[in-house]
Parts: sequence; C-alpha cells; structure tokens
Amino acid sequence: MSDFKDLLGVAWSGLTARRIRTILIMLGPIVGVAAMVGAVGLTESAKGDLKHKLSKLGTSLITATAGGTFGQSAPVFPVDAVHRVMAVPTVTGAAATSELQGVIAVPAVGASDHYQAFPVPVQAADLDLPAVLRVPMVSGRWLDDADLANHTRAIVLGAGLAKQYGYVQGEQRTVRLGNVDFGVIGVLGPVELDPGLDNAIFMTQWAAKHVFLTEGKPTKLYVRSAEGRTKDTADALATAISLGGPESVKTDVPSDVLAASAQADKTLQQTALFAGLLALAVGGLGIANVMSISVIQRSAEIGIRRAVGHTRARVASQFLLEALFVGVLGGLVGAAFGVVLVHLISGLAGWVVVIAFRRIPIWIGLAVIVSVAAGLYPSVKAARLEPLETLRLG
Amino acid sequence: MTEALLELEHVSRVYGEEVPVHALRDVSLRVEAGDFLAIIGPSGSGKSTMLGLLGCLDLPSSGTIRIGGQDVGALDDASRSALRGDSIGFVFQQFHLIPHLTALGNVETALLYRGIKPSVRHDRARAALERVGLGARVDHRPVQMSGGEQQRVAIARAIVTEPLMILADEPTGALDTANAANVLGIFESLQSPERAVVIVTHDMGVADTAHRKVSMRDGEIVADERRQLVS
Repeated sequence: MSDFKDLLGVAWSGLTARRIRTILIMLGPIVGVAAMVGAVGLTESAKGDLKHKLSKLGTSLITATAGGTFGQSAPVFPVDAVHRVMAVPTVTGAAATSELQGVIAVPAVGASDHYQAFPVPVQAADLDLPAVLRVPMVSGRWLDDADLANHTRAIVLGAGLAKQYGYVQGEQRTVRLGNVDFGVIGVLGPVELDPGLDNAIFMTQWAAKHVFLTEGKPTKLYVRSAEGRTKDTADALATAISLGGPESVKTDVPSDVLAASAQADKTLQQTALFAGLLALAVGGLGIANVMSISVIQRSAEIGIRRAVGHTRARVASQFLLEALFVGVLGGLVGAAFGVVLVHLISGLAGWVVVIAFRRIPIWIGLAVIVSVAAGLYPSVKAARLEPLETLRLG
Repeated sequence: MTEALLELEHVSRVYGEEVPVHALRDVSLRVEAGDFLAIIGPSGSGKSTMLGLLGCLDLPSSGTIRIGGQDVGALDDASRSALRGDSIGFVFQQFHLIPHLTALGNVETALLYRGIKPSVRHDRARAALERVGLGARVDHRPVQMSGGEQQRVAIARAIVTEPLMILADEPTGALDTANAANVLGIFESLQSPERAVVIVTHDMGVADTAHRKVSMRDGEIVADERRQLVS
C-alpha cells in the first residue's frame, strides 16, 4: 500500500512538473468528453421543453373530426356522438364542439368589415371541454350548468383571441355575435394540442340552439382514453360514433406530432457523438505521441530511477499512472465543460436543460480507457530502456 | 582474507553479434569492504563497461559477478533492482538529478518503494544532505544550484540508503578545481571499514587520492596496485 502511495506521488509529480505539456495532452480527453456531453445535452435540451409540455398534456387525447358523407357541405356527427363515444370502455372523458356557420363576431363598433373578411370561429362547446383538454382558465370561468339553466348569453374567449381583442382580465366586455350581444365571462388557456381553439369563441350548446337555431350536431369530438390505450381507443371511435351509419370519422392523436418533434434528432446526436469519439481517439494518439517523446526526453530520469533500484515494472506503472491521471482529469474537466456548455447555450436559447448525467461516467470511463491504452506503448518503452545507455557513462 | 563485497570471475562483455566488440576480456576482480579504489585507463579501455557490470546495470556475456555472495546473473529484474538499490550508490559525471524535484526530492528517490514512511524518508534525506553540507538547500531545484552543489546532492542520493559500495563515474569531470577538491574530500570522508568506494576516472589526480588503483587497457586489467597507507 505504501509502495502504491509512492507510485501515485511519483506519477503525480511527473505530471505537475510539466504543466503545459500535461494540459496539452489532456485536451484530447477534455474535448472528447465535452463534445459527447455537449452533443447529447444540447440535442436533448433543444427538445426538453416539448417533452416537458408533453408530460403535462399527456398523450391520451384523441380528436375525432366529422368527415361527412359525399356531397355534404358541413360534415357533422350525430347529436348523441359524445354519448356513443362514452360507451367505449377505454374512454375516460369526451366533449364536443360544434362550429357555427355564418355567425360573425364583432368585438367593437366599426370593426365589422374586418371581422367579416376574417371571421373568428364560433363554437358551441360542452361543459366538460376544458377538463377533457386539461387546459386551465387564464381568467374568469368556463361555461357551467348555471349558464344552461339561466339561459345566459355568455361566451368564453380563446387565449389568442383575448389577446387580439385586447381583453383585460375582469373587464366587462360584450361581443356582438350576429345581432345579439354576448358577455365575456372568461378566457381559456392556450390549447397546445389544438391551437385552432386559441382563436375561437365558445358558447353553450343551449345558446347555439336557441339563438342561432343550430341542431346541436357536433363537428369535432375531444376524447380522453385510459393511459396507454390511446391507439386502440382511437381505432374504436369510428365505429362507436357512426354505429354503421354513413358518417365518416377522421381520428387524430395530436400529441403524436408533438412527440415526434420532441424526439431528439438522433442523426445529429450520433454525428456529434461520433465527433466526440473521434476527438477522443485523436486525443489518444496525441497522448501516445507526446508521452513517447517524453520518454525519450526523460530517459536520464528513467535511467537514474533504475539505477537507484526502481524495477522495470515500477517505471512502466509510473508512466501508465500518468496516462491514467490524464484520462481521469481530462474526462472530469471535459464533463464539466460539457455541462457548462449545455447550460450556457440552453440558457441563451431558453431551453429546459437536460443532461444525461447517468451517461457521463461511461464517457469518462471511455476517456480513461483510451488514455491508458495510449499510455501503454510509452510505458513499455520506458520500462525497456537500458539504464546504462540512458545515463551515458563517461 | 576480508570477505569480498563484490567479485568478478572471468568476466567478459561482448557487444554486437555480427561484428563482436570485446569491451571486457576475462576480467577477475575482488572489491573488499574498506576499499577506496580507482579504476583508471584511457578512453575505450573498458572502464565504463566495468562500471555498468559492477553496478548491476548490465550483465556479463560470460563469467560470474557476485555481490555479497549472490550471483547477479541468476537474479530476475526485480531482485537485481532491489540488490542494486540496497547495496550500491551511484554518482555520475553529469549528476543526473531529476530536474523537477528539489534536492530533498532527488535524494528521497533512492528511498522510494521500500515501505518507508514519508516522514522517516524526509528525515533520512535531510540528514544525507546535511552530511554533504547542503542542509540549507534542501528545497532548491537543480537549476538553482551550482555544479558542485548538484554533485553533492547526487552523493547524498548515493549514500542515503547506506550502501555497501559507492560507484562513481568521473565524479569531478564536470567540476572546476575548487568544487572537484570539495567533492573528492567528501569521497574520502565516505570511506569506512564496512564500505567500498569505487571511482572510475581517467584523471590521475583523482586516482591518486584512492588507496588502490586498477589500471585497464583494451578491456583487460593490466595493473592492480595498493598504495601503502602511512599511518
């Protein structure tokens, strides 16, 4: 044990005696590990906020859009579509929206020309819609049973539309729909999985039926399935809704698109990882090269160590340990650089920092293996030196 | 007869196979405890080959070398290194100090891998440096010392293990007259009845301080004279 301590001391003093050389040969492991930590960290972080959103929104939302029958201008579902969908055992919640045709919303006097040219979608929505979407209110409240019972002319604005209207929280605001004024009671939060809803106006099915004389037939259904049953639930929806009727149903899992874009770019990641490995390999060659030269430069030191009784094995171990230190220190410094790099760039880009800490020890281990392998030849070369030749006796 | 510290029996050393060069031819020599011996001879006479063999840094092509009765040729590298570390202290013409180590660190090099505690190692190295008059320069690096001081550090490194034999190769060759005299004085002070001091030199002035002169020519010992000590 005490011999090993001596060996550690000798190797350490050999490295610290030539700091610039040591730093230079450490650059290989540093760059290699930093590149790998950085590559994976940055590609993951770039998608980190999407993943975060995805985990918040869940992957169990399915949308079903009415495809209609041939020749039908505005395809719709049967009135009891939500009821039919709820009969599917894996469905945990469902809400319908019906888009009102030809209803122009005018938020202020004199703005009707603009809003006739660019109409805002007006939707009759079920009371469960925010719960099924898992979207909270930004302000105010959603439509509720009291609105149905009291026949209120209440509307909720989508988050984007509220911004467009310059709606201030708590403000008494009316919006003219057709020829009837409706009062704004709240603003729905942004709907990541169906951004189209952000610019819509929502009213109760009662108001749609009684003010605009709709039939209450949904145009779109939002369905939550049990976790992990999204796909088979989506497959079952078409049959459940049409029940053999002529309606065609188009189902979508909107989180799939988000999930696909949340997948880190594997090709980019692999390219960067390969670059890191290459840096490590080139660094290894550098270590072998510089250490071989160092062995020649330090041949007198090796000779004198042999003369005072150090064995060939100890001389070899000394150089091998120097290479090991280079790998360990280079790996640690490289990992630290990589982490700092990911934090810096993610901070600038506004990403959620994702660092694969569990993989860092593997990369440091790789740097150590490469360094020790690179130090093998110089170590053997050092051990084989004949002291008589290196000491150049008079 | 005093017991031999080191014995060469019919030792030859041949370099090269295709064109063999006979550096040493059938040499026999006994080095005894208490010897202060100078090996002299012109360049190419085999002195350095002799020093390498005496110091276990090389092995003979034929013949036997015994140190303390042990046949050096029968030992593996580890045992031979241990024997060298325990029994022999080297002093070279070019000092051969390790440049990044202090005087103390250089002397301690000879005490590494022996299971000696660092504190004990420091004390012994410091004592050796004090013995050669460098007690005040323990923390200096070789570049901060004169040639004479560097050679004294090298001597301290050679004696710190209390070896049976000190082998010096032209120890004053790189020194000016004053430093050379100082170093020779230290060598004389190192003599003891238990130890042998062997100096390889072509400087007759240095050889004259020795009690025994072994003259070499063309790889052979041509004279082995003992000076009568006047007590």
